[in-house]
Amino acid sequence: MSPVVRLLIKRIATSFIVLVGVSMLIFTIARVIPGDPARIALGPNASTEAVEALRDKLHLNDAFVVQYGYFIADLARGDLGQSLYSNRPVTADIAAYLPATLELVFFAGTTMILIGVPLGMLAARYRDRPLDHAIRLFTMLGVSAPDFVWAVILMLVFAYFLPVFPIAGRISDSFAVPHVTGFLTIDSLISGDLAAFGNALWHLALPAFALSFAGIGQSARLTRANMVETYRKPFIEMALAFGFPQGRIARRFAFKPSMIPSLTVIGLDLASMLGNAFLVEQIFAWPGLSRYGVAVILRKDLNAIVGTVLIISAMFLIVNIVVDLLVALINPRIRLSQRSS
Amino acid sequence: MNMPSRLLAASLLASAALVGVASAETTLRLDETPIGELDPAKATDYADSILMFNVYDTLVIPKQGEAGYQPFLAESWTQDGNSFTFKLRPDVKFQSGNALTADDVVFSFDRMMAIKSGFSFLFDNVEKAEAVDASTVKFTTKFPYAPFVAALVRLPIVDKKLVMEHLGDGEGEMKDWGQGWLNLHTAGSGAYSVVSHDPQAETVMAKNPGYFLGVPAVAPDKVRLRYGLEAATVRTLISRGEHDISSQWLPPEVLKSLSKDGFKLLTESGTAQLYIKLNTAKPPFDDQECRLAIVNAFDYSTGIKMVAVTDTVSQGAPSTGAIPVGGMGADPDAPAFKQDLEAAKAHLAKCKYKPEDMNVELSWIGEVPLEERFALLLQANLNQIGVKSEIKKVPWTLFTEQVTKPENTPNVSQVFVDTMDGDTDTLLYSMYHSSAGGTWMSPEYLKDAEVDSLLDKGRASASEAERSEIYKALDKRLIALAPTIYAQNQRAVFAASDKVSVPALEDPAKAFRVAAFGFTFRLMEMHP
Repeated sequence: MSPVVRLLIKRIATSFIVLVGVSMLIFTIARVIPGDPARIALGPNASTEAVEALRDKLHLNDAFVVQYGYFIADLARGDLGQSLYSNRPVTADIAAYLPATLELVFFAGTTMILIGVPLGMLAARYRDRPLDHAIRLFTMLGVSAPDFVWAVILMLVFAYFLPVFPIAGRISDSFAVPHVTGFLTIDSLISGDLAAFGNALWHLALPAFALSFAGIGQSARLTRANMVETYRKPFIEMALAFGFPQGRIARRFAFKPSMIPSLTVIGLDLASMLGNAFLVEQIFAWPGLSRYGVAVILRKDLNAIVGTVLIISAMFLIVNIVVDLLVALINPRIRLSQRSS
Repeated sequence: MNMPSRLLAASLLASAALVGVASAETTLRLDETPIGELDPAKATDYADSILMFNVYDTLVIPKQGEAGYQPFLAESWTQDGNSFTFKLRPDVKFQSGNALTADDVVFSFDRMMAIKSGFSFLFDNVEKAEAVDASTVKFTTKFPYAPFVAALVRLPIVDKKLVMEHLGDGEGEMKDWGQGWLNLHTAGSGAYSVVSHDPQAETVMAKNPGYFLGVPAVAPDKVRLRYGLEAATVRTLISRGEHDISSQWLPPEVLKSLSKDGFKLLTESGTAQLYIKLNTAKPPFDDQECRLAIVNAFDYSTGIKMVAVTDTVSQGAPSTGAIPVGGMGADPDAPAFKQDLEAAKAHLAKCKYKPEDMNVELSWIGEVPLEERFALLLQANLNQIGVKSEIKKVPWTLFTEQVTKPENTPNVSQVFVDTMDGDTDTLLYSMYHSSAGGTWMSPEYLKDAEVDSLLDKGRASASEAERSEIYKALDKRLIALAPTIYAQNQRAVFAASDKVSVPALEDPAKAFRVAAFGFTFRLMEMHP
């Protein structure tokens, strides 16, 4: 069996154990938040009998272990229960809101990589020169303020003072994109509607950039630090001694070893965007899963809380597995260690 | 070009322009807090009410510009003791095309009572509903119950035939009563039909061409009700001309800045009040003198200034008693409450508890940041009379649990309460009847035989004039007992663009005394 496949199997097995642990943890935490979910669902004026009837229906009067048993049995059938917040099956809510968040995170992640990594490379290449200082200042700004601050600043500048970008929703009303994947950029391309594709990208611009700002700063700083470190390595000195052009040294010799630690952090950043997207989704009225997740926590919607957290955890684990595989592919030492173990 | 050709070209251009104007679709865009609950049997919040009043119709509606109710889906009604008989209009069709009959009314009532959610508590005193014939429906209450007619404002009539075709999984003959289907679909006869609905994002509605009253051409052709927009987002959208009416939940500062930019402010009042409730079941407010001390110490005028939007518009108005100004039983000539520190000190001196021994818990609901300001104001006022206090932030979910036991209920709680159906009984019975203690509306735990007697008489009397006198007497008794600080009448303030006129929220003579009824879209006018 190839070392990469072995690594993949190992990661999937540990991820499954992590998911079981997360499900138990979130199942417990959701039930100790103050407030009666049945009372919240039925409204403040519902009668005590009605509240008790709903508690019975939701098994809230049963022992904790029994409740968990019901949950696992339903989960095994792919049923995450009914949301008391939206009155729909939790799976339907997740299916409705997850693509919006994934699309936002994908574009934010792409922005982060496409801007952050080259900035880091440039800063390393021109270390201690004015360009390096300017990039470091820019990246410092990125990591020092939370996403929602950038969201509000971007909205003020590019939507209020210079009204060039839209600030709410995923696409303009005039476009009707047939639902295939739920990703509007993909669905518009499938339907061959390039105007809708452009409009969806236009709507993504501000939220994706706001969400990626901290990541841009972090990936640029990390790439710079790793490349500076790599530039000190003997093989770079040797390349310089051979007279290779600077650009070629940066791309061919310094970039790959520098990216190994960066890739892991970028992967974690990407995964954490799933949860962190809440405030950006809130500000740009983006109908995504993070916004839904916070709303259901506030309403103590037990099934929806557990379902949302499980899905975000699963996404986190998938991203981690992909990153581990990528690192294994570009780092021969990991492949070798898998083979020897 | 010769003259006839020029004339022809000019007339063609003019016609094209006219056709363009005539066919320009108008869209009203507004926002509210999520979620938008489409099932009328589960509706409770403001957004739900807006949906309910536009997608569905009711047997009666509140009168415009005055107290009382008028027939709507009903042509008329009669009351005979415990029974109320309604004659239905013959010309009403649901959006599905099915004719509205008495069976639909009975089904709507039975469905609401079976689901036991939303506003079903308003019908707890109704024994049964029965169809006398296809156009006559009879309700029987458990005892003479005058508020029943007002409660009907919250009983939207659903299309039985359509719902029965979409019953989901469930036990018994009625299965889930169509709950699964009605979460995302509608079965109403209202002036607007739902085009799309996402409970977290937005509901899009369009005019119902078959509406039995017709929908005026100037009313919005399409409505986009968005949910959960941030204040900064609403501020920017309105400024860009991409939003027409804000929700009432914008901070006063944002409303003020929009007003400065030339946007108009719409108001809705007379439906709600801020009640600062004193727990009469535990020290120190089990002593009436202590309660009177705090009621006199509270600085009412500063409270109103705190929520001022502009020099002329505030989110609060002076209170004169337990009933919002203009409600049945509210005395229009009664003086507004004012801070009186001397009187407060005099009452405190008569209280059996010493001020230095008191440490009053002032709670505020975590989800309503405005209440923190009132808690701080009250704390400062209590300091003025030498009473120590402690401010506690309580999440709503915890608050509703705390109030179920008097010993766990804070000394002071703050709640905004609206009349829900416009009837004073709905507001006061749940707050002050001794049988009603232990809910979010009644953390006072008031037990007073005279109050109970007046409340019981008020709901039993069939005469509007007599009820009004009873509630006036009740108001006086409550002011004397001082279980609550009647801090201020709540006034909902909305920012709006000039593209829309909302007569019910702009002209007091056209206002409705039921919250959210002013958002009846068919009564609005768009100015494209």
